[in-house]
Amino acid sequence: MSADFAIETEDLSKVYRTALRRREIVAVDGVSLRVARGTSFGLLGPNGAGKTTFVKMLLSAVHPTGGRARLFGRDARLPEARRPVGYLPENHRFPTYFTGSGMLDFYAALSGVGRRERRRLIPELLERVGLERWGGARLGKYSKGMLQRLGLAQALIHSPELLILDEPSDGVDPVGRIRIREILRALESRGVTIFINSHLLMEVELFCREVAILDRGRIALSGAVKELTAANGYRVAAAGVPADLVPELRARAASWEANGGLEAFSFSTREEANAAIDRLRAAGCPIDSVRPAGNTLEEVFVKTVHG
Amino acid sequence: MSKPSMAKTAAVLAADTFREAISNWIFWGLFALSTAMIGFFLLLLRIDVVEGAIATVSLFGQSLVRGRDVNTFVIQVHAAVATFLYSWGMALAVFASSGLIPSVLEPGRISLLLSKPVRRWQIVAGRYLGNLLVISLNTCYLVAGVWLVFGWKTGVWRTQFLWTIATTIFIFAVLLTVVIWIGVVFESSALATMVTLALMVISPILAQTRIAEKLLSSEEARALWRGLYYVLPKIYDLARMTLSIVRDRPVESLMPVWSSAIFAALALGSAIYIFSRRDF
Repeated sequence: MSADFAIETEDLSKVYRTALRRREIVAVDGVSLRVARGTSFGLLGPNGAGKTTFVKMLLSAVHPTGGRARLFGRDARLPEARRPVGYLPENHRFPTYFTGSGMLDFYAALSGVGRRERRRLIPELLERVGLERWGGARLGKYSKGMLQRLGLAQALIHSPELLILDEPSDGVDPVGRIRIREILRALESRGVTIFINSHLLMEVELFCREVAILDRGRIALSGAVKELTAANGYRVAAAGVPADLVPELRARAASWEANGGLEAFSFSTREEANAAIDRLRAAGCPIDSVRPAGNTLEEVFVKTVHG
Repeated sequence: MSKPSMAKTAAVLAADTFREAISNWIFWGLFALSTAMIGFFLLLLRIDVVEGAIATVSLFGQSLVRGRDVNTFVIQVHAAVATFLYSWGMALAVFASSGLIPSVLEPGRISLLLSKPVRRWQIVAGRYLGNLLVISLNTCYLVAGVWLVFGWKTGVWRTQFLWTIATTIFIFAVLLTVVIWIGVVFESSALATMVTLALMVISPILAQTRIAEKLLSSEEARALWRGLYYVLPKIYDLARMTLSIVRDRPVESLMPVWSSAIFAALALGSAIYIFSRRDF
């Protein structure tokens, strides 16, 4: 295992046993994954796929029943391995007796940030997440979106090299989401590795360079977002296609769909698409649209998870 | 970014527990109770001492005590305060402390804490020490306050009473390990309170070993009684020891101290072990 990777797992597994050990529930099943330093990585999967358990094993909150996990080449079970990691958990519960500044001070102290440095960093970070006027307020007065932004500040306060975010924009309004994305982009440009665990596919597609889809505890698919969503043909849509032409075009197309009066045909090659356009125009049929037929991450996800 | 020492990390966690505790109204209730007791002795109780004997002790103008030896009177008051601390004070302290472990084990809180470069034993130790610190401060405040008030009013400065601070903190330190153990295993503040109070209630009963030896007919029952007495913390014996010190009488045996300390060490050690192996 190498320090070139921010995260590296090898056959990482977690089996939960019910009371009296009568039944086993496999949450994570032999996951081997590598996340290179400086990349932005999205972990996707349906509910119950094992994403949160996987993340918790990286942070040693859950003990693996098999395999190994390393952070920057160090055994993830060691407290020192977590020193360069910033984490924002899903459904976090920050103690309400804290003020915003007090909470940042506490978590920064635990991460080893000195008192003087904390005094300098806390106002800076509060400003960065748009909470500069809220530092002295108790957390009980914060909205969900504000707590989420404060949680992000908490994850950043010790200048981590790896940021693990569990549903980072949960409860955040669209403007706040854009702000979070900008912060993450700036961090990525400085070489910080960002690992996002989210069910918001659009968010992952917009931000992450690489993704993995976890399904029933196993990696079902992984790769670069660009490659997974790359154009792989052309989609021709036309209205009022003559009834005798429809079976012919459907037979030539890789896939088709009919919606109201609109027929859409997906072709694997440019030649096939051009031939179809020629036939449609010869039949006097108006072309509605022609566009590259790429997959969205959502389509990739649905195909991977539901077959 | 520096690497903090293990002790410093535990201190940060203890300070957090302290902060959480003082945000809890029950602790302020304890403080108010102590203040009320000190205030009662200071403002309402009038003591007139004449040539080493108490002429009168009066409350709202009504005479309570006449012509008693001042030293005996002060000893009695000190013993009453020590008894209050062992019984009601301890029960309130346990009640106030019972939620401090379950609260830190809430899913979104513990996972964040564990993501920091802290060792799990430091989290348990921080909770334990922070809680102990709050109760210790309150105990010091009450005992020292009563001692000062009575010393000033009677001119009797018996330092034996100050030993109550140490013994009360020790008794609470033992009981707190039970609170921590139940909190770690069952995550229930109600259960932690019930079990710890049950130990306090059962302690004076188990301490009657001589009577039990006579009353119990089977050897197995007597062995079980003795076993429970020696294994469980000897809260009642510790309280009696405190009263002996306060009354300036000899302490018969230190066995209640060391056996309770062993119990506490085992309870805290096993709580840390269980906590270290748990998934959150």
